[in-house]
Amino acid sequence: MEKIWKLCLSYGDVFLSGLLGTLWLAAITVAAGTVLGVLVAALRMSRFRPAQAVTRVYVEILRGTPILLQLYFFWIGLPKLLPFDLSDTACVVTALVVNSSAYISEVIRAGIGAVDKGQWGAARSLGLTELHMLQRIILPQAVRNILPALGNQFINMVKETSLASVFFVGELMTSYKIVQSATFLALQPLIVVGAVYLLLDYVLSWAVSGMERRLAACD
Amino acid sequence: MTEEVILQTENLTKRFGTLEVLKGISATVYRQEILSIIGPSGGGKSTLLRCLNLLEQPTSGKIFFHGRELPAKKSEICRFRQKIGMVFQNFNVFPNLTVLENITLAPVLEKKVPKEQAQREALALLARVGLSDKAEEYPRRLSGGQKQRLAIVRALAMEPEVMLFDEPTSALDPEMVKEVLSVIEDVAKSGMTVVIVTHEMAFARRISDRVLFLADGLIQEEGPPEALFSAPQSRRTREFLSQVL
Repeated sequence: MEKIWKLCLSYGDVFLSGLLGTLWLAAITVAAGTVLGVLVAALRMSRFRPAQAVTRVYVEILRGTPILLQLYFFWIGLPKLLPFDLSDTACVVTALVVNSSAYISEVIRAGIGAVDKGQWGAARSLGLTELHMLQRIILPQAVRNILPALGNQFINMVKETSLASVFFVGELMTSYKIVQSATFLALQPLIVVGAVYLLLDYVLSWAVSGMERRLAACD
Repeated sequence: MTEEVILQTENLTKRFGTLEVLKGISATVYRQEILSIIGPSGGGKSTLLRCLNLLEQPTSGKIFFHGRELPAKKSEICRFRQKIGMVFQNFNVFPNLTVLENITLAPVLEKKVPKEQAQREALALLARVGLSDKAEEYPRRLSGGQKQRLAIVRALAMEPEVMLFDEPTSALDPEMVKEVLSVIEDVAKSGMTVVIVTHEMAFARRISDRVLFLADGLIQEEGPPEALFSAPQSRRTREFLSQVL
């Protein structure tokens, strides 16, 4: 216990920068993943058959293979595909974004699918164009289903970003590695990092369920 | 009721997978008439109604509006639907909009009615159905009967030529049926063309100009309410009426 306190005091800044790295990675992954996920969901729900098929395969592959494998794949493959140099961080972020876009596209699809079918019929029966129907009726209702699920995705990403430490991209698990190799202590820094993850996810879960309550209240 | 044909279907069929719901419906709706469609559940009544404003795409057959075959182009379908109001069994009011916004949304967006004018007209409509004090509320604060009255004026706000009612009282608590039926009757008496799918036999008998009995995907019988209810010609109609009356 004493050693843990000492660790926190002497390596606090390392853990802190790791925490910031984790938050930054998770935030950018969910933000960019949402943009990409919206696109994937839109194609998946379009009436254009080839787009449906391609996005379906995209989602299946990303959900059906381990994220660590995907990280390696992008880390090795992406620099070979692109004509310019890519940092490890860029490769890892790309992999995380692509991975989460698959999950987020399903969240969006489910959120829209959960809107009562009668709402579509009612909007169409009034002569609303498809665009107006989506903008004013369907999406505002779908967002209520989607937001809490996105919050949960953020919580998951906070944990999944720990895999970035494999490539020594600055985040919490990488901080652990730094501290471990500097101090030759294995267990104690792990406990510190674990506690930070736990606290972080606890706070985020609390925020998400607060959001759920507020969304439910205005229903 | 006039002789002018407003909506007409010709040999309309609708299939969901292997289930043939409509097996060739040729029906006519005249201007300003009240046409009731009755029949057993699963007989195709709602599907027929939903084909009339293309919420369901018929498998085969034609639909004519004022003698013109219905277009297949999306933009034209929207414009066509604006002339056909529809009221649903489950109200389908928009929960994310206030009562007033529910009514003004479509006129403002699709008919480019100035917002203030749309609101004035919406308030007048709400007054007509006794919901003036609810204008700023969200639909979750309304009872079933109030929601359905809102759904009716929401459709009326587009100033349609025909109103379709799909079992408008089936999802209501019994004590709320009357208030909704009286609003429908009010709409019917204002000279609107009304097609109503209903299980309220007494109501259908009282207000209809014509009644259409639909079962097994076919029109089994049609005629004036007195004739159809008191002296049904087809055996299928007699069986049905003996069970519900």
